[in-house]
Amino acid sequence: MKNIQLQIILGTILVLLSAAILIVMGVREPARLAEYEVQQRAGQIEFGAGVYINNCTSCHGSQAQGIPGRAPSLRSEEFFTARLDEVGWQGSLEDYIISVVTVGRQVSTRPELYPGGGVPAMPTWSEKFGGPLRDDQIRAVAAFIMNFEAYALGLEPTAVPVLPVVDESDPASVGRAIFLTAGCTACHTISGLSTGNLGPVLDGLASRAGERVEGLSAEEYIHQSLVDPGAYVVEGFDNIMPADIVAEMSEEELDSLIAFLLTLE
Amino acid sequence: MINALRQRFNIPPREEWRERIMDMVDARVRAITAGLSMKELRAILRGDEPTEKPNPRYKVITTSFVAHLRPRYYQQAATWFSHTLRLGWFTTFFFVVETITGVILMFYYIPFPDQAYGSILAIESNVFFGELLRDLHRLGAEAMVLFSWLHLLRTYFTGSYKGPRSFTWLTGVILLLITAWLSFSGYLLPWDQLAYWAVTVGSSITESGPVVGPAINMIMRGAPDIGTGGLLRFYLQHVILFPLLAILFISIHYYKVSREHSISLPAVVEETEMDPNEKKEHTRRIDLIPDLLTHEIFLTALGIFVMLAIIYFRWFQSPLETHANPQQTPLDTKAPWYFWWLQGMLKIDPAAIFENMLGAVGIQVELSRLLDSKFIMGLVVPPALVIILMAIPYIDRNPSRLARKRPFAIAWGIAWIFIVLAWSYMGTPEYGIETPPATRIIQDLAPEEGEGPLREIPFEELQAGIYTVGQDEAVDLCPQYSYIPEGGDEHDLVLGCPHLTAVFMEFSERLRDAEVDGALPNLNARLLVEQVQHNLFRLVPHVEWSDPATGETKTYEHTYFLHENRAEH
Repeated sequence: MKNIQLQIILGTILVLLSAAILIVMGVREPARLAEYEVQQRAGQIEFGAGVYINNCTSCHGSQAQGIPGRAPSLRSEEFFTARLDEVGWQGSLEDYIISVVTVGRQVSTRPELYPGGGVPAMPTWSEKFGGPLRDDQIRAVAAFIMNFEAYALGLEPTAVPVLPVVDESDPASVGRAIFLTAGCTACHTISGLSTGNLGPVLDGLASRAGERVEGLSAEEYIHQSLVDPGAYVVEGFDNIMPADIVAEMSEEELDSLIAFLLTLE
Repeated sequence: MINALRQRFNIPPREEWRERIMDMVDARVRAITAGLSMKELRAILRGDEPTEKPNPRYKVITTSFVAHLRPRYYQQAATWFSHTLRLGWFTTFFFVVETITGVILMFYYIPFPDQAYGSILAIESNVFFGELLRDLHRLGAEAMVLFSWLHLLRTYFTGSYKGPRSFTWLTGVILLLITAWLSFSGYLLPWDQLAYWAVTVGSSITESGPVVGPAINMIMRGAPDIGTGGLLRFYLQHVILFPLLAILFISIHYYKVSREHSISLPAVVEETEMDPNEKKEHTRRIDLIPDLLTHEIFLTALGIFVMLAIIYFRWFQSPLETHANPQQTPLDTKAPWYFWWLQGMLKIDPAAIFENMLGAVGIQVELSRLLDSKFIMGLVVPPALVIILMAIPYIDRNPSRLARKRPFAIAWGIAWIFIVLAWSYMGTPEYGIETPPATRIIQDLAPEEGEGPLREIPFEELQAGIYTVGQDEAVDLCPQYSYIPEGGDEHDLVLGCPHLTAVFMEFSERLRDAEVDGALPNLNARLLVEQVQHNLFRLVPHVEWSDPATGETKTYEHTYFLHENRAEH
């Protein structure tokens, strides 16, 4: 066989093989496109979670649970079912979130719950209006919040927050879980646990609590700070800690929380 | 009756019909094929001799615009596979692939920072064969760079740059630069972290230039930082300016080969004494039509098949990192691999080398103020190397092309291969950049961009908890736990969480090694695994240690989120 004919035969085989690959890829393509979209959404949620942690926790809480008097929960059933009607929004909830995050909220829609205190109830986040976030970051954070929907509607009951191993027999361990879920993390820093910066850092609290107020032991001081936050305000901070968080706790929960805080030496 | 009609309308008799139709068809075929008749086409396909004289197969080359770029024939030895390895041909092939896939991608891509990244995602998720197109374009680009370098090496080692081909060599070096710039300018377009920082690092080299350096940098970027203007500039260079330049220089380069001096004969044929019959065989004509053309069509089929196979079996995937973020430099920023040699060269500090050399003979001088290493290694040495490369045919006056008669040139070429490889190694982040140990360990487990063992833990294995280094044994972290991996059955049951355990084990071992080495004294480290949403976990490797120098407590941690549906690679 001549070289040229060999090349024609081999070339034909290669073209057929290429066509076969394309056909196989083509058959799989719709599924791949759909899968890629799912993965892309997952990536966006991961990215948005990072944006949330860096920007939103001080008002909406470390787990988006909201902080009474400051900002609402973003994972409540009410948020996913009633909020759009309440404000008369025509579009989707995700668009609503994007819109609110982009421009902020100059005036609170629920001043009795979240007064805003003379400043915008929610700052502007888009870099187009002087905020720190790019559009893709805002879309990602909206995707992250939308991902609470299954939990909010009760479809994923075990979801949030599943906490790092709680030892029920150890009050400090239970207290730690309360610290993480009740909203404390929004304002207080404990190394490795939280990064809030509106209230004092709680590292080493147990060693200095006993010296704050004359006549109060460490335990008594912490108890007072929780139940009646305004009684003693650490220098350099404002009297802004809400009392209602603790007011809703049972006596047992409060004791566990104190037990946990007393471990911070 | 019929005959009367025939005569009336001047219709030829039946036996003439066939001939007349064939003549008409033949005339059209000759017009389309620029001179080949039906009979000739059949002869070509059958491998027969030309049917007419003068050879109509040569006529095509003078009459057709497209074919006039092509040679009539090459001498037999010039077509040896071992001589050219078809490297130049494949470089052109990849250029064509780039043009075709590039034009299609242009229909979808939006060169605007707000939308560029989103348009790439849309190409991947919303365009039929979009991922394939992007993979082909990226693979073709890298292959084109690689093959142009290999083509240069081949030409150098066969001595083909000599004599009448010296100018062709020069245009080839220009094409190498154009190829590199085409590839580099395309690098920015996806607007992800990889793109943004590779181009930021690359273009910052010009900044250190004297007088006009900052201006050049500004012209390239369109603003002090790469933004809307910079992206548009790179885009237009990528899709218009440099493709046009490439077409121009490829034409010049190729026209000289095809119409002026042809592909060089192997030096053994050209320069050694051999049997006249053998010589005659080696110099006999191999015509474009049909031999060379058939071979090229075969190579095209081969090239397309290999590219498709590489993509189909996922041996190559175009990378896409997270959205470009000018505020955050990823840890191991690096240039594209074909610029590693340049990045490696930039790590060389000539002032320090000279100071050391002079210091060794007892002369103490301070040269670092006079010799800015970024300026010298970034802006003086590379252009000098390019000029030397272009000038090789004019520097090398040795007339012989036989390897054994040019030992110095061959040794010099091999030495440069090693130098460029060494510089390339120096250009990778592994070389010469000290990362603090805690950062390094966490970065190795989970790079800021890309995968890494931590991100490869199957979602099913993520168990909330705080795993403390030294306290928790790094074996069998979740013994009560088991799961069936996605797509598997009960035979695939996984007991415990082996991947999570392995990651924690590596984390623990490397940290404790560092503690023993004294790099991380008073080590206190943990891996926090927390569930944030029903399908989202948060992983925070956290390290605390006392600074060996000051005793201060330092911490380093990084937060990662893992979603159930994240892409597996």
